[in-house]
Amino acid sequence: MGALNNFSVGRWLTVGFDYPKSIWRVELTTSLQLSVPDIFLQQLAGELFNQNYRILYIFKDMGKEESPQVVTRRTTRSSSSSTPNSKNLETTKSCNPQPMTINDLVFGDEPISFDDLISSLPGRRSQIHELVRLLGPLNSPTIPLFIYGGTSTGKTSVVLQIFRYLNRPFVYTSCRTCYNPRVLFESILNQLSLHRKDVGNGYSSAKRCERPSDFVNLLREALLTVVNNLKGHLENSSSKKSIGRISGKMVYLIIDNLELVREWDKSANLLPFLFKLYAILMLPEVGLVYISNTSPDTYYSDTGYIEPIPVYFPDYTEEDLRQIFLRNQANQKLYSSFLEVVLRPFCRTTRRVDELSAAFSPLFKKYCEPLSDLGISPSEEMKRRLFSHLQPHIMPSLNEVFKISSRPSSEGESNKEKANRQGCTQRLRGCPAIDEIDFHMSTSAKYLLISAFLASRNPATLDASLFDSTGGSDNRKRKRNSSVKSMEHKEAAEQELLMKGPGTFPLERLLAIFQCITSVEEYTLEEEEPGTNSLGVESVGYKGGSCPLEGSTRYRSTVSEDMALKVII
Amino acid sequence: MGRENLAGEALILLRSRLCNPKFIFSPFSDSPDSNYSKLKFILSSSVTEACNNSVLLLGPRGCGKNAVLELVIEDLLKEYPDMISVIKLNGLLHSDDNCAVKVQLDTLLYLLVVAIVLTYLNIFVTRECGLAHKTVMFVLDEFDLFAQGKQRLLYCLLDAMQSVTSQAVVIGVSCRLLERDFERELAVAQRRMTASRASSVQREPHPHRRVKSRQIEPHRCQTGAQSEPIGALEGQSKSGEADPVLSEPLQSPGLGAKQDRTLQTYRTLQTLCPEHRPKPRKLGTQKDADQLLEKRVRSRFSHRKLLFLPPSKEDLQRLIKHILVLPTDSSLPHDYVVEFNAKLLNILAKERFKQIIDTLSNSDSTCSNLLRFLFSAVCHMDLKTGFLLIENFKAALSSIQRQPKLEGLKDCSILELYMLVCMWRLEVREQDSYNFNSVMKEYRSIHDSFQTSDYYARNVCLRAFEHLLERELISFMDHRGHNQSTEFRPAKLLISYHELYQGLKSYRSCPIQISCTNETRTKGSNAAVSSRRKKGRQQKPNRFNVNHLKFAAWFAAVWIEEENLVPSVLGKGILNLFPFHP
Repeated sequence: MGALNNFSVGRWLTVGFDYPKSIWRVELTTSLQLSVPDIFLQQLAGELFNQNYRILYIFKDMGKEESPQVVTRRTTRSSSSSTPNSKNLETTKSCNPQPMTINDLVFGDEPISFDDLISSLPGRRSQIHELVRLLGPLNSPTIPLFIYGGTSTGKTSVVLQIFRYLNRPFVYTSCRTCYNPRVLFESILNQLSLHRKDVGNGYSSAKRCERPSDFVNLLREALLTVVNNLKGHLENSSSKKSIGRISGKMVYLIIDNLELVREWDKSANLLPFLFKLYAILMLPEVGLVYISNTSPDTYYSDTGYIEPIPVYFPDYTEEDLRQIFLRNQANQKLYSSFLEVVLRPFCRTTRRVDELSAAFSPLFKKYCEPLSDLGISPSEEMKRRLFSHLQPHIMPSLNEVFKISSRPSSEGESNKEKANRQGCTQRLRGCPAIDEIDFHMSTSAKYLLISAFLASRNPATLDASLFDSTGGSDNRKRKRNSSVKSMEHKEAAEQELLMKGPGTFPLERLLAIFQCITSVEEYTLEEEEPGTNSLGVESVGYKGGSCPLEGSTRYRSTVSEDMALKVII
Repeated sequence: MGRENLAGEALILLRSRLCNPKFIFSPFSDSPDSNYSKLKFILSSSVTEACNNSVLLLGPRGCGKNAVLELVIEDLLKEYPDMISVIKLNGLLHSDDNCAVKVQLDTLLYLLVVAIVLTYLNIFVTRECGLAHKTVMFVLDEFDLFAQGKQRLLYCLLDAMQSVTSQAVVIGVSCRLLERDFERELAVAQRRMTASRASSVQREPHPHRRVKSRQIEPHRCQTGAQSEPIGALEGQSKSGEADPVLSEPLQSPGLGAKQDRTLQTYRTLQTLCPEHRPKPRKLGTQKDADQLLEKRVRSRFSHRKLLFLPPSKEDLQRLIKHILVLPTDSSLPHDYVVEFNAKLLNILAKERFKQIIDTLSNSDSTCSNLLRFLFSAVCHMDLKTGFLLIENFKAALSSIQRQPKLEGLKDCSILELYMLVCMWRLEVREQDSYNFNSVMKEYRSIHDSFQTSDYYARNVCLRAFEHLLERELISFMDHRGHNQSTEFRPAKLLISYHELYQGLKSYRSCPIQISCTNETRTKGSNAAVSSRRKKGRQQKPNRFNVNHLKFAAWFAAVWIEEENLVPSVLGKGILNLFPFHP
């Protein structure tokens, strides 16, 4: 996983929001420079990676004045986790951050009651109960907890909200933003020692810490100070009863996205270390909470580890999903009749809130199209009418993973998104609608794409027969001939293609093929240079290397056959 | 209201007990043949007699090696103040000097480190030990990690111990158990089992076996057990030193009496993961903590070993009582404590409770597992009534013993299940490697023959496939080819057929087609399955459920006996499953 900037920008852009690239960049860097509290950045980044479209909302929040309505309009669980963001944004805007106090270790917002906690996280009642039980009453030591469950099952939100309810000090770090041990260690230490990165200290951490051994020493030190502070704080607040919002003398360390650690260097030592942290520290005032996407058995290592107590977050059931989607809807009745139609078929493919909400929002718009007044509660007949209006759209939408609403930017696309896009244009297999590609492509780009496709799919040995050195005038025909010839090999080749995927090729070969094709179409070679650039991103996976024209960089076209055909048309 | 407060207080007390390893292991310190006493004897004699010593504490994780060591050191510090200084090093933390050196700059930095260590030792040794007549105790946790690389640190330590006139004790703590020790253990257990079966007398628990840990004196085993099938004991030259403490006969934790149920459990295990046979590891990659030592390091290491094993059933009971019974002399009111304890003892005596504990210890009988279980049970206590109920323990058991793969299967959407079934069909067909494209082809063919209503476009299936990867129900075959896209990388199932079948059966709204595609497939190809199993025995590299692993060890003995199989064939494989072993 690379640094935050590159990755997120890439991801963000591919979604195709209306914001130009530059604005995004500026936003991100300003927020960094204003030194938002770590937890905000971490949440932001966690969300960035999890669910692309959330960022849009976050930045809407940022653009407008802090408006809770915008936040609550969100349909997913993010409504709960976004509240700290808006709060933290406030501090961002103030631009003159207060020195951090021990109170910053608790959840930023006003505490909530237990009923609010339950109702704000539908479908997670039993998990909340279990976690609250395991965290125990005030000042009770706890064995490390291991929370696991699939993506978008509300693990992080539930844990953070529970701490908001309990008002206990905690330190949240995610292994996604803290992409190596050093960043992870320093982030924990920074938060514990109430250190904020800003211009004054040159965005440096409180302590430099790379090794686990240093980390343990520093952590123990920091924890002891915090715990002592908390004790003092308790005494103070019991005498004055004014400041005491923070409760307890326990400090909890929450480590999110633990599964990513397995990909790190030296994870063979780091993971047992993280799991053993509690035993190594031997401080009863510390509680550890691990959050992971994958189950405990995937962490099994050489010599085993000390297992924490597992808490499982199952995926939402259909009923849970209904409740989640009904939350914060303006017209509950209308939406519930909409859900009756769509929820069941969609649940057969995926039960993830993020993916479902992405699929539902355009569908709901479709659903509401015949209505003039969105506030009405639909009658039975109306429901039927709406259903018949929606029905033709359900099937196509079921077979789509990715809908691009605004005009797509053809720059900066990585392989993956390319594949998704491909899927978007590719309709249901049952009705092979040969429609045009739905984005603009310059002619030279098309030719490059085709030549890349050819270079990837055909073995290099065939090139000579396909395109003669004279730049054959009838290469199309020749190609067809040769494909007839190789009919008998087709089966085997097809199997191989299934298994191996497209081959790689050097740039020279691509250019040669490009030249052959274009020479037929009376194309000048001037286009070559700009063409190559777009090709690098458009259709071909980089295999590393910096300069595309030099060195032995090899490329691969990931375009499917259907797509290539469409491009030709 | 008052009751709730009381219960809260009691809860905090219990929780802090459970989080304090010293408290948990303290009851074992009194008996004379406990590891505590032995360790204390060794350490205190080396303090009083001013001699050098080294000892290795071995055993699986969560059996209290460190806790007992802590207790001993604490006691010794009290007994001999100003005579002992303790240096604790943890392999996870401090061995990275070695690693870093090994990886990066060879000699230069290396020599530097060595020089530092040496000077440090010299200064230390001359100043501290030489002048003040102190005994230095080096506690090396995760000892096996220190034994990586060139073992300079170990060598320096042990060498300094011999050359300098001062005293030092090196205590290694490791969970890399000797395979030989373990095999011997198994063999003895097996012998005893046969004996008990022959006399058809249920073995009474050994009177001395009140402590959860015991030791092995290798020499004795070697000479005393001719019938032992696995007895290749090499490199034990130094270990035969007669040490009165170390010659206690072997015991096994109630295996004989329990064999039937154990066998049954083993069969369940077998059905649970029929394909997950271990592949025999290459010898040589598999070394135990002291074999990892270099020759010259080993020659300086006295092969004194203390083996820590999971507690027996009686000990478990004792431990539970020790932890959960509230003290009468605490701040809690006397009435409440008495009532609480009476109810608790009532529960502990119940047959149902014993069953729960059996189920728990069948999968993993280490102390840490028990602690987690008790912790969870205590957390389930209803604060309104303020007493522990048997339901609390039941709830705790189900929350501790999880089956992540089955849970993952339950979370799958229908389409994801289709993908899994397709992959299973491909595996049955013995297709060596397959990727998303072949799965897609299979999916299409299922659709063609069964006319399912769930037919989705390729990209939706790809997303489902990616979800499965995320859930780790399937994985890629290799870690190469990161630049290949998902569709082309060969994949494999991480679940067995039985897990898949169970998952499908318990799925709430599983379409009939999936289950019947699955059924027909397997019925038709039993031969294929069995041949695959055979293959799996040789090369199936799948992951195991940790719980399965932990079972396997004790079953090995039973199985060897039951099936009249040669241990060397079988034992190897199963022994590799043993969690002490990487």
